[in-house]
Amino acid sequence: MTVLFTAACCLAGDWKLAEAGWRYEFPRDHSIHEEFKTEWWYFTGNLADSSGRRFGYQLTFFRHGVRHPAARDPEMSRFVVGDLKFSHFTVTDVAGRQFQFQQKTSRGAFGEAGFNDGERIAWIQSWTLRRDRDDVFHLSADMPDAAIELQLRGSKLPVIHGEDGISRKAASEGHASHYYSMTRLETSGEVRIGGRSFQVTGQSWFDHEWATNQLAPGQIGWDWLSVQFDDNTELMLYQMRLENGMSDPSSSGTIISPDGSSMHLTRASYTMKPTRFWKSKRTGAQYPIAWQVEVPGQRMELTVTTPVEDQELALLPLAYWEGAVEVEGTRDGKPLRGRGYLELTGYGAPLRELSR
Amino acid sequence: MTLQYLRLFRWHVLRYIAQHRLLALLNVLSVALGVAVYLAIQIANHSANRAFAASVDLVAGKAELQITAPVGGLRDDVLPAVTQHAGIKAATPLVRGLVTLPDLPGEYLQILGIDVFTNEPFRTFELSDFGAQGSFDVQGWLGDPRAIALSEEFARLHKLAAGDTLRAQVNGREHTLRIAFLMRGGAGGTPDEHFAAMDIGWAQELFGRRGMLGAIQLQLTDKAKRDEIIASLRPLVPPDAGIASPAQRNQQIENMLGGFQLNLTAMSLVSLLVGMFLIYNTVSASVVRRRREIGILRSLGVTRNEVRGLFLGEAIALGILGVLVGCIGGVLLAQVLVGTVAKTISSLYVLLSVRETALTPWMFASAAVLGVLSVVVAAWLPAAAAAKMKPAGALHAGAVVEEAQTLSPAWFWFGLLCIFAAGVASYLALTTGPPWIGFGAAFFVLVGFSFIVPSVTSRFSAIASRVLSGAMRRVGKALLEPTLAAGNLSRSLVRNSVTIAALAAAVAMTIGVSVMVFSFRKTVEVWLDQTLAADLFIAPGSNEMAGASGFMPPEAIRYLEAHPSVAAVDTFRELNLPVRDRTVIVAVVRGTDRRNVQFLYGDGAAIMQRFYAEPCVIVSESFTRRHRMKDGDLLELPTPQGPRQFPIAGTFYDYTRDQGIVYMSQATFLPIWNDDRVHSVAVYLHPGGSPADVASAFRTEMSAAGQFITFSNRELRTRIFEIFDQTFAVTYVLRTIAVIVAIIGICLTLTTLITERTRELAVLRAIGGSAAQLRKLLLWESGMIGLLAALVGLASGVCLSFVLTGVINRAFFGWTIQLAFPWSSLAFTPVWIVAAGIIAGVFPAWRAGRLALAGALRTE
Repeated sequence: MTVLFTAACCLAGDWKLAEAGWRYEFPRDHSIHEEFKTEWWYFTGNLADSSGRRFGYQLTFFRHGVRHPAARDPEMSRFVVGDLKFSHFTVTDVAGRQFQFQQKTSRGAFGEAGFNDGERIAWIQSWTLRRDRDDVFHLSADMPDAAIELQLRGSKLPVIHGEDGISRKAASEGHASHYYSMTRLETSGEVRIGGRSFQVTGQSWFDHEWATNQLAPGQIGWDWLSVQFDDNTELMLYQMRLENGMSDPSSSGTIISPDGSSMHLTRASYTMKPTRFWKSKRTGAQYPIAWQVEVPGQRMELTVTTPVEDQELALLPLAYWEGAVEVEGTRDGKPLRGRGYLELTGYGAPLRELSR
Repeated sequence: MTLQYLRLFRWHVLRYIAQHRLLALLNVLSVALGVAVYLAIQIANHSANRAFAASVDLVAGKAELQITAPVGGLRDDVLPAVTQHAGIKAATPLVRGLVTLPDLPGEYLQILGIDVFTNEPFRTFELSDFGAQGSFDVQGWLGDPRAIALSEEFARLHKLAAGDTLRAQVNGREHTLRIAFLMRGGAGGTPDEHFAAMDIGWAQELFGRRGMLGAIQLQLTDKAKRDEIIASLRPLVPPDAGIASPAQRNQQIENMLGGFQLNLTAMSLVSLLVGMFLIYNTVSASVVRRRREIGILRSLGVTRNEVRGLFLGEAIALGILGVLVGCIGGVLLAQVLVGTVAKTISSLYVLLSVRETALTPWMFASAAVLGVLSVVVAAWLPAAAAAKMKPAGALHAGAVVEEAQTLSPAWFWFGLLCIFAAGVASYLALTTGPPWIGFGAAFFVLVGFSFIVPSVTSRFSAIASRVLSGAMRRVGKALLEPTLAAGNLSRSLVRNSVTIAALAAAVAMTIGVSVMVFSFRKTVEVWLDQTLAADLFIAPGSNEMAGASGFMPPEAIRYLEAHPSVAAVDTFRELNLPVRDRTVIVAVVRGTDRRNVQFLYGDGAAIMQRFYAEPCVIVSESFTRRHRMKDGDLLELPTPQGPRQFPIAGTFYDYTRDQGIVYMSQATFLPIWNDDRVHSVAVYLHPGGSPADVASAFRTEMSAAGQFITFSNRELRTRIFEIFDQTFAVTYVLRTIAVIVAIIGICLTLTTLITERTRELAVLRAIGGSAAQLRKLLLWESGMIGLLAALVGLASGVCLSFVLTGVINRAFFGWTIQLAFPWSSLAFTPVWIVAAGIIAGVFPAWRAGRLALAGALRTE
């Protein structure tokens, strides 16, 4: 789960709020929800080639409504923007200790960027998210020194986070989102780094979230973690950090069992403690890149570490850290291992809305 | 030598200057005036060019190449192909338009519709939220149809703050804009405050140009391959779209302004010329006055060259002071002139706002060189005369009169030669060019008549003495003073001639310019009578301020056509087509045959019939001259179907554009350009129809569609003459300055003449002349000087007016102007010049009456 906008609330206008009682339906909900102001499709994954060389990737498509669909007129100038479209792409080469990232933004005046054309769910120029009739997601993206071409097949049904169809971000009314994940996507395809091509397999995580006005005043950032364990279970946790140094009581998590059934975790049922910090030379931000996580109800104790310290998307004015992590620990006293992705926002400049 | 020169200079010159402070001051001022006017015009011209270039830079930003929309517009769907084209590093689309602001009368904004997603590498200005530098609400920018970014200067000037709304008119329609962002000029300097920016999408909507771009700006991966890239981009865009660097576009406009600015420069040089006469005058006066000194110096061994050096040095010293004062004055005068120049350029050529004057070292350098050079040239002859004086003769006081009397017949012939040269220069200016030779002709006229002055004066003196002395025998002593005065004229012939010539030159200039302006006005008046036949003229409100920028809504034209009082509606569309390094103005007209076009040659009716029936154009007289084309030639114009040639069917009189104008019928234009927008309409009413009623009905009916300006025939005529007078405002200023310099000249000359003639006047008193008689004598002399100057000036002025109207106007602007004389003011000229002469003589005459006899006669 990722939220990049806060000041958006001032311009919310007639946008629909995320309210309890949403009935999810697939594949309908994989595609765009343009009556909500913000929406994103977030893919992260840990992959490896046959020799065991490991890679991480992130490919995210963001939509940010500028004008409500009711106010749009297809006859208008093609340059009039309905949605802001932008996308982030990263590749982590664990063996090479390399991290590459790029952002793309586009007006989409000539169809070079958009959502839902029947075949593609989202695209910006050559970066594409496509879902075929067999329910396989196809991801494709490239930057000067790295590229991916991946196919992702879900081995579990989508998991709906939160309660009653909404994931709360704050106690007050309306500060919530509709949020589901596909927590275990069997992934295969190709990763290219610096002219070398690798055939890879692995597992990906897909978050799809849409909302209007979800952040509340006083929230300065969040820490988010997704883990795919060796025992075919998954875990998602997040905490909204407040200005006063506490975390918002509405923060929550989800634990998913091998059969796909899920359990909601309230803020009281887990703890997250940073254990090591890394300071970015580019932005000066200090990120907690190692964590001690405990879920007492599950008798789970986990250590989260990363093989590559620098997985910062140093974008201005919004820099954040999003990277592949390794997880080790115990559940019910038995050893537990997993891989996942960690997202840390709001450690550099205080979060503002997206700016160029 | 040098040291000796300096010592001499100090004793001889500085002391003299200290003793004659007023004289020195006048010399300094006359140089200063000429330098100031010249410099002010240079500054005004340069500032206008700079302001224009700055606005081009602001729009073009860091673009290395620019595809500019042709008349029919540039469809925005070419953008992806251009962006992805080989050799293109970055591309950004641009939409431009102009809005007028009813809330701020007289104000306008040039709005740039920009694409913030792609124009980052091109921008030379910064966009930010109001107040907070660095932050930029991109959603507000993209999402609010009314949000604009305003320059800090404009906001400050009109006390506008964030969130304020402004009513804005586009094509006569009213919109509301919200001030939400600031535009800050980068290091490249402050942009024209009239520029504003908004999102390109909303700009297309605001200006009603969906799907159309004004330009695409490009950066190249390899600038060396520019020409190749231009060639390979060609097939992607309409054939008549411009692909050029922003600098080339700038050049086209500067070429257009060149003629106008050269004209102003030439006018400013005239005041320098008049100043030269004054310098000549005073230096020669001081040579005569210091004969004894020169004689003493020469007898003491000072060489001829040193004597010349002393007088030149004196002139140059005063000249340098004059240059210094003139530079300061020029900068001050420029503050006044720059507004007038910018206004004229805006109403005739291109919308321009000059906020600050631009000064460059070379302007001051050229003004200084011209100032000092004019002094050296003016002082050369008198200084040479001083050098030629024989020591013995100079020391003998009585020799003054004889030597000064010599009249060289060579002067007269040289004068005639100059007038002949003026004729030759006129012929060259009109046939082979370059046009500026016309100014040479004007110069020769002024110089030629100046050289004729001595002959005229001596002849006048001889005849007047004879006639007056004859008359005196009959009438008695009442005519004593005029008789003596007439005789005196030829006794100090050189001095008097110089005074007369200077005044005559100023009179000639006044007359020449008056006749030119008068003829021009008269010609335009006659031309308007013949061509301005419609009863009512209507255009969108913004066009009044910003030229042809807004379009008439089609429903407005339909309404007029359906109105029962209306007999016919003519439409007018103006466009600028780039042809190589020039811009050709094409007017697309849909007319009934009521449009009265006056042709230079041929059967007008037949030409008009052809004009409406087949693809061809008719061109204005100034166009044929500027482009050296004639009837029957083929004019090649860029069109959406590629370059096409149009035969020139006729040449018509037109006084609206000095760069010329091409008329094309809408029937020819539409199938090729496929664009039926029009800038204005001319409405013809049925007999008995009232223009005022139709205009008010139109305004009421169309109030929803927007604001329009309506002119009745008479109102438009008044308006045209307002613009006309505005154009000549600078000319009037310069003319007045020339006359003031000349009158100061008379006063000065008479004063020095009296000093010079102290001895002679004292003798007159000694042999029984009363103080009153002396005063009368001197007033008669100055009156006669005035009269001679007026007569020569009239003759020279009439010749000058031939050159100005027939040569310079035709060569520069290609206008045929029917010469017309403002008889009453011409007849009045001798009267006020003689009056001015007499008034100038009052003070010297008063002083002559108070001469101390003993001192003055001591030398006898």
